[in-house]
Amino acid sequence: MIRFKSIISRIVILHVIAVAITSILMSLALSWLLNHATTNLHNDAMEEQAASVAHHLVPQADGRLSLALPPDLQGLYSQPYGRYSYAVVDEHGKPLFSSLKDQAPIFPSDPRAAAVQFLDTRSGGAAISGASIRRTVGDTTVWVQAAEDMANRDVLIDDIVEDFYKNVGWITLPILLVLLVTDIAIFRRALLPLRQASEIAQEIGPSRTDVRLPLNEIPSEVRPLVSAINQALDRLDQGFRVQREFTADAAHELRTPLSILRTRVETLDDPRIAKALHLDIEAMSRVVGQLLDIAELEAFTIDPSETADAQGACAEVAEFIAPLALEQGREIALLGVSTPVWVKGNAEMMKRAIRNLAENAIKHAPPDTVVEFIVEENGTVKVQDRGPGIADEERELIFQRFWRRDRNQQGSTGLGLSIVQRIVELHGASIAVENRVLGGAQFSLHFIAADKTA
Amino acid sequence: MRLLVVEDNAQLSQLLAKGLGIAGYETDLLATAAEARDALLTTSYAAVILDLGLPDGDGLSILRELRHRKDPTPVLVLTARGGLQDRVNGLRSGADDYLVKPFALEELVARLEAQLRRPGQQLGSSLHIANLEFDLRNRQASIDDQPQVLSSRETAVLELLMRSKGRVVSKKQVEDHIFGLSGDVASNAVEVYVHRLRKQLSDKGAKVQIHTIRGVGYLIAEEKRDPV
Repeated sequence: MIRFKSIISRIVILHVIAVAITSILMSLALSWLLNHATTNLHNDAMEEQAASVAHHLVPQADGRLSLALPPDLQGLYSQPYGRYSYAVVDEHGKPLFSSLKDQAPIFPSDPRAAAVQFLDTRSGGAAISGASIRRTVGDTTVWVQAAEDMANRDVLIDDIVEDFYKNVGWITLPILLVLLVTDIAIFRRALLPLRQASEIAQEIGPSRTDVRLPLNEIPSEVRPLVSAINQALDRLDQGFRVQREFTADAAHELRTPLSILRTRVETLDDPRIAKALHLDIEAMSRVVGQLLDIAELEAFTIDPSETADAQGACAEVAEFIAPLALEQGREIALLGVSTPVWVKGNAEMMKRAIRNLAENAIKHAPPDTVVEFIVEENGTVKVQDRGPGIADEERELIFQRFWRRDRNQQGSTGLGLSIVQRIVELHGASIAVENRVLGGAQFSLHFIAADKTA
Repeated sequence: MRLLVVEDNAQLSQLLAKGLGIAGYETDLLATAAEARDALLTTSYAAVILDLGLPDGDGLSILRELRHRKDPTPVLVLTARGGLQDRVNGLRSGADDYLVKPFALEELVARLEAQLRRPGQQLGSSLHIANLEFDLRNRQASIDDQPQVLSSRETAVLELLMRSKGRVVSKKQVEDHIFGLSGDVASNAVEVYVHRLRKQLSDKGAKVQIHTIRGVGYLIAEEKRDPV
């Protein structure tokens, strides 16, 4: 079974086959009809000739017949090449009159034959075709035969047949081709709404789940398919919305009790217990915050047209994180370009990624070292520390959720880098991990540069 | 000083009242947007602490109405969502600051005070870090209660840093603050003033440190005896 890529090619190919078959069948039918018509014409002519010969049979007094052909008929039968011939045969098959030289009958007569017969015979290599009619003249029954040598057939009729093929036969093909082109145009027009719907469908992506295919232009045959697609999109949209709502609700439900706990602890009378509990709450809050980040990222989508300033995002993260770093005895420095670097993406998400990298770096950097942020013109953001670096065998592991080098480390969730990776994926960006020559790790985020005008 | 706390979780709002009480504030506790709306129409508060997730409506709508009436009462927004649009929307709707739950009570009080000390607001006294004090009314810095003589530019830098205690002040902010729109700022002018100020403070025995965050700005903090 042939598989067609498009409806149009299916129509064209099947139509071409149909046109070919039709033109062959039509030619065959027409040529059969034409042959039939010429044969009829010939038979009628032969019958008429036989009748006109018979008309000139005159009964004699002795009961015999005499034939007195007028000069024009004599001329017809006496042509040198003997195109036409006649014969009159009695009931015994004995020829009475004949235009043939040997006075022989043209066709052997059969007394039981019908009143009119059309017969074919061969004489000296020539095909002879003619008619035989039964006539009763006086008391005598005779068969009058008239025939034509087919080799010298009337040229006019042959011309007509030939002309027919030349003029009429060849007209059918262009007509069928015009029909084909018309059909293609009709189908293309009929499929236009489908093509338009496809173009709209191409816009559908994770960030554009609100797009629906228009139904009003769609042909009724395809409408069920389009409605089904729209319904599927509705369900998809609903899924995304439920996930977003869940994240919002979960955030509220988890963070409010944590706030209560924290405030309660802060107002405790014993500061030592308060401090210990406080650290636990901090750690717990971090886990909750990162889990919520992950949940939010699952349903988060970035508008492809959105742009953000990578340098600005880095500066904000540096500002935010510097006091925390200083509290822990680490310094922060923002290096590289100091003018906006526009990249494709969502500023808030970029900040989260950079912040997670920074928190990670601060955690691993030895005291009194500097964690450096470097922004490059091409949209690359690097975060460097002077920590132990990352072993080759851990380079894949560090991005896995809940992976930690030291499972007992306080305040580490093992979620930070998986959040970074998810954000990188959402941005179509890439992340590289290297160890620095003088020790420490370097994480590079390569964002896609955007037009500055955006 | 009386504050309005709009928070639908009764436990949290009781705890906030207790904590703020210790810090010296009186509080009115309301749990719904409707009540808060009425209260804000009839009573003038020093500041409002507003939770965004209220049972009968969005806290942001109250905020918008308040700003629509040109009411300058500082509003500190509490939100469960650290992220994205919420935060931006909050600030765009006229919030003066926001805190993401769970927050430290200490930070809430600090942020509140920062708001109340803004020009035109009620808290007008002085700022402290360790043994350094800055009187906002007469713009006088003192170390161990000894008034210090600082140039007007150095005073301006110190005031800005102390107002933003615990937070980074960008170099651009410092420039804008001390030079205004006069333009023509030498590229290292800020560094020079910060350097002088730093020297003055350490010479006079102030137990504070002005940190330089390269490429970002400056931050003033209590001097650390031994870093962890």
